[in-house]
Amino acid sequence: MNYLYFLYVQILTNYHIPKILADITFPIIPFCIIAAAVILTVLILVLAERKILALFTQRKGPNRVGYCGILQTVADAIKLLFKQNIDIDNSDKFLFNVAPIIVFVPAMLLWGFIPYSSEFTFMNFSVSSLLYITIAVLPVIGIILAGYASNNNFSLIGAIRSAAQIISYELPIMFVLLSVVLLSSSINIKDIVFSQLGSLSVLNWHIFPCIIGFLVMFICVIAELNRCPFDLPEAESELVAGYNVEYSGMRFALFFLAEYALMFIMCAFLVTLFFGGFLPVTSKYISEMIFSNSQYLSVCIYFEQVMWLVIKTIILVYIVMLIRATLPRLGSESLMKFSWYVLLPVSMINFIVIAIIKFFIEGGAV
Amino acid sequence: MKTNMKINIGPQHPSTHGVLRLITELDGEKIVSVEPVVGYLHRGIEKMAENRTYLQYLPIVDRVDYLGGFFTSYAFCDAVENLMSLDVPKRAKYIRTLCMELNRIASHLLWLGTFMLDLGASSPLFYCFRDREKILSLFEELTGQRMMYNYFVFGGVRHDISSDWLDKVYNFVLELPKAIKDYEKIITLNPIFAERTIEKGILTKQNALQYSITGPNLRASGIELDFRKAMPYSAYGDIDFVISQSNRCDSYGRYLVRIQEMKVSSDIIKQLVNYLKSNTNEDYSLKINSVNLKVPEGEYTSYVESSRGLLSCYVKSDGSGKPYRVKWRTGSYYAVQAIPILVQNHNYNDLIAIFGSLDVIMPEVDR
Amino acid sequence: MILSKIKALIEGHLTVFKHTFKKNITLEYPENKQILPETFRGKPDWVSEKCIACKICERVCPAGAVKIEKQDNNIKFHLDLSKCIICGNCAYNCPKEAICMSKEYELATDNKKDLYIEINSNSEVI
Repeated sequence: MNYLYFLYVQILTNYHIPKILADITFPIIPFCIIAAAVILTVLILVLAERKILALFTQRKGPNRVGYCGILQTVADAIKLLFKQNIDIDNSDKFLFNVAPIIVFVPAMLLWGFIPYSSEFTFMNFSVSSLLYITIAVLPVIGIILAGYASNNNFSLIGAIRSAAQIISYELPIMFVLLSVVLLSSSINIKDIVFSQLGSLSVLNWHIFPCIIGFLVMFICVIAELNRCPFDLPEAESELVAGYNVEYSGMRFALFFLAEYALMFIMCAFLVTLFFGGFLPVTSKYISEMIFSNSQYLSVCIYFEQVMWLVIKTIILVYIVMLIRATLPRLGSESLMKFSWYVLLPVSMINFIVIAIIKFFIEGGAV
Repeated sequence: MKTNMKINIGPQHPSTHGVLRLITELDGEKIVSVEPVVGYLHRGIEKMAENRTYLQYLPIVDRVDYLGGFFTSYAFCDAVENLMSLDVPKRAKYIRTLCMELNRIASHLLWLGTFMLDLGASSPLFYCFRDREKILSLFEELTGQRMMYNYFVFGGVRHDISSDWLDKVYNFVLELPKAIKDYEKIITLNPIFAERTIEKGILTKQNALQYSITGPNLRASGIELDFRKAMPYSAYGDIDFVISQSNRCDSYGRYLVRIQEMKVSSDIIKQLVNYLKSNTNEDYSLKINSVNLKVPEGEYTSYVESSRGLLSCYVKSDGSGKPYRVKWRTGSYYAVQAIPILVQNHNYNDLIAIFGSLDVIMPEVDR
Repeated sequence: MILSKIKALIEGHLTVFKHTFKKNITLEYPENKQILPETFRGKPDWVSEKCIACKICERVCPAGAVKIEKQDNNIKFHLDLSKCIICGNCAYNCPKEAICMSKEYELATDNKKDLYIEINSNSEVI
């Protein structure tokens, strides 16, 4: 961040703008970038999901608005903006209105924790990975409030299911995160990425010692995202739409936005933990080969790192969509059993095994 | 004080397959009681018969069960023909059987797709509709419309089938097993599907008989009763086929039976096509003028093994041009009755899965 | 046991993935229309020259949508498309083939009056 700050001040001084202004504006920029990135990503992601699901089922997907339907989600978003917000009788108006915000804000906040490149980390705390996991749970509070405030049996059942789901799937995530922390000897997300840097390039990624941990965490993340096959809180065949059945217009759009923003960022988090985050798949940065003599080489590398992260994340998101297209929904009882009887023990064993491996490799210096 | 949650599923609900209403009492996720309420799609089809001539009533019959128009059509034609003691030509019988078997496949495909959608898997729905579309196109070419055929007439079928059409049917039947293999790859061994269906919604032999459940649901409970074999009608007497049956008694068994039935149906169609191709010069209809049709006094009940169980049509004639009374007995109605006993000790989301496995469609229940 | 489950899961995903490369089956409706078969039943059409006003169509129509009126040397044909279920009974039972089923199936209108068709055999459409 310091390098970017230095660059920023330098650019502004070129235009004779005082340094004090640069100090004030610099912290605002990340928020603008995140906000723009979230909305853009969600727009692309929603369209991509519809297109990909269409491909799996030999259809064309949205192809009317804009060229090949690229403006479809924009049109949908505009429609949602102008739609009437329906107030429900006998509902808790305050909670009803505040719930979408409680869901959306943490989803947005999470975007700040991911190191997009070795310099672009908007919120770099020493305990950032723990903080990330903590904030990732917050949306469920909004979901419970939404379900409770809607004064609807369907949404209440959906909300309770969501709460149960989060509680049971949060523990395995924590254990897997601990084993990753153990592997990288750091609790800071950025340091976790750098710990995967090494002479072996791809083979240095945490996925190789911790593949079982990754699978457990991947399943848990899908469960936390309320996506198929864990989409019980919003199972359309039973609960109509689950916790957001009474929402419409802008409030519904916030739920929708949060869901897809979370999906992308959770996949990015997985990539960061297991697939080397922004580190390249190739042994050398591509821009090093192309722009080897340019003075902006370091900046080019930063953007290339962002590209690597996004590519890896997209592959993971694609797999999530493939799973959605294939699998039926789990039953509510086996959902709990699967977490407590399978995932939790597996993640604990994985943690112990990783600890033993680490102990012998490092010669006892954990 | 603890009170149970009362939840009203339907009549407008994504997975009640029409307009079924289920008044459900829940204790947490556990189902305490379910009370099905039917009648939201009642069109008075039985009463409509009484002020229409036999010919006027014929197109309406297709609408009793819109996924199996040929079954209902056949049941009514068969009843009227028996009242008039007409002997339907052999070719007509074969054409009718061919249509009914294709219809059975189409109906089962739609069931499979919607059942998987009830369980939460979205892709199989589209694959099933893709294949069902082919059958519907064949029907459109044969009869003029996709679902409301009006193709069977008293004494035969409306017009002959071409060998070109038979070739298309044969090609479709050859391709179908490949498609079914794909479904089975996605569904049959899937552990989540198994977990949602195995040991869920157990319909014991006694219960099945008590609730007079018929069709694939009965055969999945271990009772080998198929009216195509038990009292062969139309061309089934000449056809060689096996009854698909399972002893599992649960939703999974019902799934297996239907998948098996699709394969059996395609075998039957192959035999029928071979016969129809080799005997082209036979008569396809008695060509009676049914505009002023007067049916002799009497009553008759016809039995058809439809895709949803025993379909029977009771026709009572008083000798005039209009039926005195028509009564339909449909398989879905009895399946709906069995829902409360099937969902005992199950969770809320199993209710939808079990209901989906029964293959209930509401127009058939309410008529 | 667990391995066979995992194998089945992977096989299922691959089967779905395989469909990505299969041919598209979407038919984009208003631009590309399905080729209708010869036997297709659409809106009933009336050929005035052939009609002998025997009123069989009136008697076989299950919905009471067709009506034939005979005046001196003019035959009036009424068709109420809001009642018509396009069953084809009128066309199939007409002794002179004066009613035939056209291939027209896009019959939705904004105005209910458009659904009521009245044709005279003497003159053009009124």
